[in-house]
Amino acid sequence: MYSVKEPDGGTPRRVSEQLITLEIDGVRVVVPAGTSVMRAAAGIDRRIPKLCATDTLEAFGSCRLCLVEIEGRRGYPASCTTLVESGMKVRTQSEKLAKLRRGTMELYISDHPLDCLTCPANGNCELQEMAGVVGLREVRYADDGENHLNVVKDESNPYFTFDPSKCIVCSRCVRACEETQGTFALTVLGRGFDSKISPGNQDFLSSECVSCGACVQACPTATLMEKSVVDKGQPDHSIVTTCAYCGVGCSFRAEMKGSEVVRMLPNKDGRANHGHSCVKGRFAWGYATHPDRIKKPMIRRSITEAWREVSWEEAIGYAASEFRRIQAKYGRGAVGGITSSRCSNEETFLVQKLVRAAFGNNNVDTCARVCHSPTGYGLKTTLGESAGTQNFDSVQDADVIVVIGANPTEAHPVFASQMKRRLREGAKLIVIDPRRIDLVRMPHVEASYHLQLLPGTNVALMNALAHVVVIEGLHDEEFVRRRCEPAAYEKWKAFICEERNSPEAMESITGVPAAEVRGAARLYATGGNAAIYYGLGVTEHSQGSTMVMGIANLAMVTGNLGRPGVGVNPLRGQNNVQGSCDMGSFPHELPGYRHVSDPVVRASFEQDWGVELEPEPGLRIPNMFDAALDGSFKGLYVQGEDIAQSDPDTKHVTRALESMECIVVQDLFVNETAKFAHVFLPGSSFLEKDGTFTNAERRISRVRKVMPPLAGLSDWEVTVALSAALGYPMHYDHPSQIMDEIARLTPTFSGVSYEKIDRLGSIQWPCNDKAPEGTPVMHEDEFVRGKGRFVVTGYVPTDERTSRKFPLLLTTGRILTQYNVGAQTRRTANVAWHHEDRLEIHPHDAEQRGIRDGDWVGVQSRAGETTLRASLTERVQPGVVYTTFHHPESGANVVTTENADWATSCPEYKVTAVQVKPAAEPSMWQKRFGEQQRAQIDLLPGHGRS
Amino acid sequence: MDAHKLVKMVNGIAAFFEADPDRNAVMESVAGHLKRFWDPRMRREIVRFVDEQGGEGLKEIALLAIRTHRDKLL
Amino acid sequence: MTTVYVPGDSAARSVGAEDAAQAIARAAAARGDDVTIVRNGSRGMFWLEPMVEVVTEQGRIAYGPVAPGDVPGLFDAGFLAGRAHSLCLGPTSEIPYLKKQERLTFARVGVTNPIDLAEYEAHGGLRGLRAALAMAPQDIVEEVVRSGLRGRGGAAFPCGIKWRTVLGAEARPKYVVCNADEGDSGTFSDRMIMEGDPFVLLEGMAIAGLAVQASKGYIYLRSEYPDAERTLALAIAAARRAGLLGDHLLGSDRAFDVEVRRGAGAYICGEETAMLESLEGKRGMVRPKPPLPALEGLFGCPTAVNNVITLASVPFILDMGAKSYADYGMGRSQGTLPFQLAGNIKRGGLVEKAFGITLRELLYDYGGGSASGRPIRAVQVGGPLGAYLPASRFDTPLDYETFAAAGAMIGHGGVVVFDDTVDMAEMARYAMEFCAIESCGKCTPCRIGSRRGVEVIDHIRAGRKASGNLALLRDLCDTMIHGSLCAMGGLTPAPVLSALDHFPEDFGASRGAKLL
Repeated sequence: MYSVKEPDGGTPRRVSEQLITLEIDGVRVVVPAGTSVMRAAAGIDRRIPKLCATDTLEAFGSCRLCLVEIEGRRGYPASCTTLVESGMKVRTQSEKLAKLRRGTMELYISDHPLDCLTCPANGNCELQEMAGVVGLREVRYADDGENHLNVVKDESNPYFTFDPSKCIVCSRCVRACEETQGTFALTVLGRGFDSKISPGNQDFLSSECVSCGACVQACPTATLMEKSVVDKGQPDHSIVTTCAYCGVGCSFRAEMKGSEVVRMLPNKDGRANHGHSCVKGRFAWGYATHPDRIKKPMIRRSITEAWREVSWEEAIGYAASEFRRIQAKYGRGAVGGITSSRCSNEETFLVQKLVRAAFGNNNVDTCARVCHSPTGYGLKTTLGESAGTQNFDSVQDADVIVVIGANPTEAHPVFASQMKRRLREGAKLIVIDPRRIDLVRMPHVEASYHLQLLPGTNVALMNALAHVVVIEGLHDEEFVRRRCEPAAYEKWKAFICEERNSPEAMESITGVPAAEVRGAARLYATGGNAAIYYGLGVTEHSQGSTMVMGIANLAMVTGNLGRPGVGVNPLRGQNNVQGSCDMGSFPHELPGYRHVSDPVVRASFEQDWGVELEPEPGLRIPNMFDAALDGSFKGLYVQGEDIAQSDPDTKHVTRALESMECIVVQDLFVNETAKFAHVFLPGSSFLEKDGTFTNAERRISRVRKVMPPLAGLSDWEVTVALSAALGYPMHYDHPSQIMDEIARLTPTFSGVSYEKIDRLGSIQWPCNDKAPEGTPVMHEDEFVRGKGRFVVTGYVPTDERTSRKFPLLLTTGRILTQYNVGAQTRRTANVAWHHEDRLEIHPHDAEQRGIRDGDWVGVQSRAGETTLRASLTERVQPGVVYTTFHHPESGANVVTTENADWATSCPEYKVTAVQVKPAAEPSMWQKRFGEQQRAQIDLLPGHGRS
Repeated sequence: MDAHKLVKMVNGIAAFFEADPDRNAVMESVAGHLKRFWDPRMRREIVRFVDEQGGEGLKEIALLAIRTHRDKLL
Repeated sequence: MTTVYVPGDSAARSVGAEDAAQAIARAAAARGDDVTIVRNGSRGMFWLEPMVEVVTEQGRIAYGPVAPGDVPGLFDAGFLAGRAHSLCLGPTSEIPYLKKQERLTFARVGVTNPIDLAEYEAHGGLRGLRAALAMAPQDIVEEVVRSGLRGRGGAAFPCGIKWRTVLGAEARPKYVVCNADEGDSGTFSDRMIMEGDPFVLLEGMAIAGLAVQASKGYIYLRSEYPDAERTLALAIAAARRAGLLGDHLLGSDRAFDVEVRRGAGAYICGEETAMLESLEGKRGMVRPKPPLPALEGLFGCPTAVNNVITLASVPFILDMGAKSYADYGMGRSQGTLPFQLAGNIKRGGLVEKAFGITLRELLYDYGGGSASGRPIRAVQVGGPLGAYLPASRFDTPLDYETFAAAGAMIGHGGVVVFDDTVDMAEMARYAMEFCAIESCGKCTPCRIGSRRGVEVIDHIRAGRKASGNLALLRDLCDTMIHGSLCAMGGLTPAPVLSALDHFPEDFGASRGAKLL
C-alpha cells in the first residue's frame, strides 16, 4: 500500500477498441470492454468498498464488500469480478447492500485486533478505512470466539514483518507473489476458518520468498509491513526517483519523513517496472546512510600514509595541482579519468568533458569496458546503434524468448518477472547458458531448450543455430533483401552454410547435442515473434563482440527486428551502463557514439566547449594499467568505480595502481581502489542528487534529490569544482543545464529535457524532431545505419583452455541479493541471504577431489589463487565451476586472467581454466588482502596510529 | 607498453578479420581497427616492435597489416 | 457350471462381501461344484448386502445378506440350483424394492460384470455412442437439450444448454470434466455407477466429447473412493483396447480419451470451479463466475463439467431418444434420479425413480421407516447444505421446482433420515461446523461466518443472550446467503434456517412457538 495515496481503480486497466456503455447509479459510463464494474464505477468517482481488489492484481472476488445490484440479475454480484455489459444498470448503494457490507465487515473485525491506535498501519489501513466507509458501529459476536489474535509474528525477514494476527486472508500477497513476481512462494494453508497465509510452512527467510516486497506492497493491513515503517511511522511526502541498482531502472517513490527515507515503493506509473521491485531497490537502500560513508574529503601524499581530512577546496586544489604536475612531467596523456555506470548521465558527461577539455586528452573510459563494450561495438557494426532494440514491454508480444548468458531472475529480477508472466502465458523459452539457471525450470516456467554449452563456445553455438536456419530455409529472405546489405549478406551466407558451422560439426566444441541445437534453431526461426535477451555471458569473452554480431546476424536473417515482440536486447548490469556509454565515456567516442576522429563532430564540441579536442583515441582501462606499469600513465580520476576489485587479474591491477602518483577516488566508501588513492572525494548517493539514468531499454528517467548530500556536495558539483581548479571552469547551476548541453550536442538526445521527462515520466532515446516523445522500438523502417550489415563471425577458441594443471572452467555471475562488488548491498541486511561467495562445483568433480559441501577449497588459475567454500550442485555441468564475485575477500578476480575481447578489450571474466583443491587456509593473496585491509582501515581518520 | 600484450591483442583482431578470404581487406581491417581504437602510444609501440624486433609472435597477416599500413598507424 | 454373483463394490464389501465370496469359492472347491464367481456391482439394497445371486434356469435368484457362516447351509440347501433357504429372496428382479424402480441410468448396475465390455455391449451398451458418432455435434447437443436432462450434481443446470455453450466456444482445446467428487453426506450413486457400470460413464463422456468437440476428458475422483479408482482403471484399459476410448472411437476418425485424477479430500472440490483449480494442480479454491467454465474452464479452455450421473444418463438418451427420457418425470424435472436413502432408515439404498415421487413414498414404501423404529422427525435432502424437512412436508413431490419453492433442494438426491431423538439445534450447529471445516476459505462470509455461526448457535443453546443471538444468527445467515462467493457459503444457512423455522423448540423456544 502506498502511504501517500494513489488512485486505485480496483482491477487492472483493460485496453479494447470496443467501448461499452452502461449506467452506474444513474450516470452514463463508457469504458473499454473487459473493464470491471468496479473500475467503471471508480472512473466516475463511485468508490465501491473493497479489500481484496487492487488494480495491480487480477480480480479475485473474496472480500465480498464490493457487492452491487444489477438490474435483471439475481443476487448481489461482486463488482470486481463482474465485467461491464452494454446497457447494464448498476446500483452501488442500497439499504440491502449497506447491510450486507456491514455484516461482512462485522465478521472481519470479529477476528481482528482492536489496536488501531498503536498499529503501524494506523492512518494507512484499508481495513480501518473500509470499516469507516461501510459504517460499522458494533461487533455483536462475543469476544470469546475462536480467533487468530495470538498467532506469532514472523520477523525473520530483515526488512518486513509478517503479523498473521492482523491478516484478513484477502490473498493479495499470494496473488502478488504469483502474478506480479512469479515466485509462488506464498500460499494459503488450511481450509475454512483455519485458512492462513504462509510462505510454505516455514518462516519467510527460510522460504522461497525473494523479498521483492510485492506482497508487502499489496497488503491492505499491517500484516506485511516494512520494518522501517514500524520503526519510523507513516511517511509524510513522497518523491519519484529511479533505482540505482541494475539496468532495469525501476521507478520508485521515495516515501519520506522530512529528509529521511522511510521506505522505497515501486512506482505504479514506472514504465520499466509497472509498480514492481526487487529486494535491492525496494529494501537495500540503507547503505546510503551507513556509518562507513566518508563525509569529508581526505588527502595523503603516499598510500602508506594516514589519510588527512581536509576541506573541499584543499582536496580539489591538491588533486588539480597533482594532475597538472604529472602532465607537466610525463606529458598531457599521462592522466585520465574513469566514469561510472553507477553515476548519472550528467555526472558521466562532466567527467568525460573534464578529461577531454581540461586534461586535454581522450583517456576516459568507463566500467562498461568490462561489461557491455562488446554490445556497443557489435550492435553499432551490424545495426548502427550501440543499444538494445526494444522496450521491456515488448516481451509481452514475444512468442519465443531466448536468454543467452544472462540470469534475469537474479540480476534483472523485475524484468524477469515480466518475462516469466509472458512465459506463463505460453511463450516458449530457450536458455543458452553453461549453468542451469533458475529460468530453466521454475514454478510454471520451463525452457523448451536448455543449450548447456561449455564456457567460451558461444560463437560456435550461435553459428550452428544460424547454420540450421539458413540451411533449412527457415530464414526471412524478404526481410534480408529489403533491409540488409546484399554483398555482406551473401558473404555471410556462404560462410554460415559451411559444414564446419553445422551443429553436428560444432557438437564436440560446444558440448551441445546437435539435435537440441536444430530444435532450438527451428523454434527461434518459426515460433512467431522471437526475442533475444542476453547478458555478460555473451560479452565477457575473448569473442564477446563476435558473439554480439552473431546474435544480430541471427535476428536479421530471421526478420526478428524492427517491431514489438522481437529484437536484440542486452540486459545491462548497472543502472546507467547505457547512459554512461551514451555520454561519451569511451576513449574513442564523443557523446552519441561519434568517433573522436570525425572533424565535424569534434568541431561542434570544440565550439561549445571552447577548447581544441584531441583527434586520436585515448587509453582504455586495461591499457591504462599497462601504461601505468610502463611509466607513461601516472594520474587517474575515478568516479564511482572500484577498478581494484572489479577488473580482472587483481595482482596486475594493484601493481599498476601502486605505480601511479595521483589517484583521485570519488566514492561513497573507502573501496578497494581507494586503498591506492591519494585523494578521496566523498561521493553522493542517488538519493542526494538530481540527474538522470538511462536503463537497458534506452529509457531516460529522472533521479531526484530527496535528501541533501551527506558530504555537502553532489558528485556533479565536485567535478565542476575540480575542472575549475584545473583551469577549465564549467558553468552549471543545476544538472538540467548539463542535460540541455547534452541535448544540444547529441543528435539522439536533441529532444530531451528535464521538463519533457517530468511531463512524460521517462523518455526512450532517440528523442529528437523525428521522434519527439522518444523511440520504444528501434530500427522499425530501416536500421540506424541504413541497411543492416551481416558480419562473418568465425569461431576462434579462446586462449584460455583447460589443461592437466587447470582442468576445470570457472565462470562467474551475480546473485539476487547482492550487487556487483557489493559496496552497497554488503552494507545492508541483504547479507542475511548471501554473506559469502561460494564456488559451485558438480558433485562428480567434487567427489574426485574429496570435496564435501561447505569445504574450503583453493581455486587456482594461471593468474592467481584464492580460497572459497564449495557448494555441491548439479546446476553446473561436470568440468565447470562457478562463483559470484560480490565479496572482495573472495578474490574472484585474483584468478581471472588478462584475456579479453579482441575488439573492445572487455575482459574474459566468463572463462578461466582453474584447478580446485581442498584447502586448509586462505590463499596467500587473501592473507595479504587481510593485512592490507587492516592497514588501510588504520590509516583512516579516527583509526589513526596517532 | 608491454609489446607481448600488444602482440596478443593484434593477433586477436587479426583472427577475427581473417574469416574474410580477401587478404588485402583483412590487412586494411586490422590496421583500421588499430587506428580507430588504439591510443597512439600503443600503435607506436607495436610499430616499433615490428620495426626493431621483427614483430615476433605476430600472426603473419597481422605483421603484414602493420607493415603495409605502417604510416597510417603512426 | 454355475455363475454366482457376489457384489464387489465397496458398499457390499464394507459388510463382508469379500468374506462371503471367499467362503463360496472354498465351499464350491471342497464340494467339487463348478462355480464361477462374478463380482458385480451392488443392486443398491444395502440391508440385503452381501446379496448373492445365483444364475438358475428360473433366472437369477437372490440370497442375502450372506455371512460366511451361512455358506455351508446355502450349499446344503442347494442354492446353486436356486432352492429355498431362509436367506432366499426369490428372483432378484421380483424384489419389490427393485421391481418398482425405473432404472434407466442404473439399468446394468448389479446385472453385469462391471469390467466386461462385451457384456456391457450385450446389455445395450455402446448403442448411444454409435448413434452419436453418426450425428453432428449440434444434433447431439440438441438431443440432450430435448431430453430435459439437468445437472445431477446438484445445481440442476440443463446439461444440453451447457454443452451448447461449450460447443459454441471458439477456443481450443476443449475438455470434458467429470465431477466424481461425490462429497454430500448420504450420497453414493456416483460411486455405484463407477464401481458397478463404469463403461456407461466412459460412454457418456465420449458422447459429451463428440458433442462439444473435445478429445480429452478427466474424471476428478474423490480420494475416498479407492475401489472406484481401481474399477475405473480396469474399465479405461479395457475401453482403450476395444476402441471405446482412443484415437478412433469405435473405428471412427473421432478421438477421445479419459484420464482419472484423484482429489485430495476436500469437500469444496466438488464445487466445479474449485475442482478445476484442483485439477490444474492448484489449491482447491472457488473461482468467481463469470467466466463460466463452459467458456474458460480447465486451463482456461472451454470445458463441459458434468456430474457422474449426468454423464451416465447420456447414453440412454442417445440410444433411446430424447423423448423416451423426457417422458419420465414431472414439470421441468424430466427423467429419473437415483435417490439415495441413508441415515436412520430401515431399508437404505439406491432408488432410481422418475421425478415426482414424494418423500413419504421414498421413506416408507421403499425405506420402510426409521431403522430405530421411532417416528421420523426430520429429513435432510440434498446433502449437508440441504434444508431439513419436517414430517409435515413429506408429501412434497421430489421435483426441482417444487423443492426450491419449499426452500429446500434435491441436490444430488441424497436423503438422510433422523428420528425423533435428533436435536435439531445440534444439527444446525453441525451445518455451520461442516462449513467452517470444509470452506475453501476464500470469501469472508463463508470463512469467518461459518465459525461465528457455530459460536452463536452454541450461545443460543446455552441460553446466553438468546434473543440477541438469534437475531444475529439470522443476520449472519443473510450475509452468508447473499454475500458468499459460491453455493457452499450461500447454502449453509439453509439447514440452519430450516432447523430454526421448523424446529424452534430445539433452540429453546416453547414447542410450537415461532422464533423471531
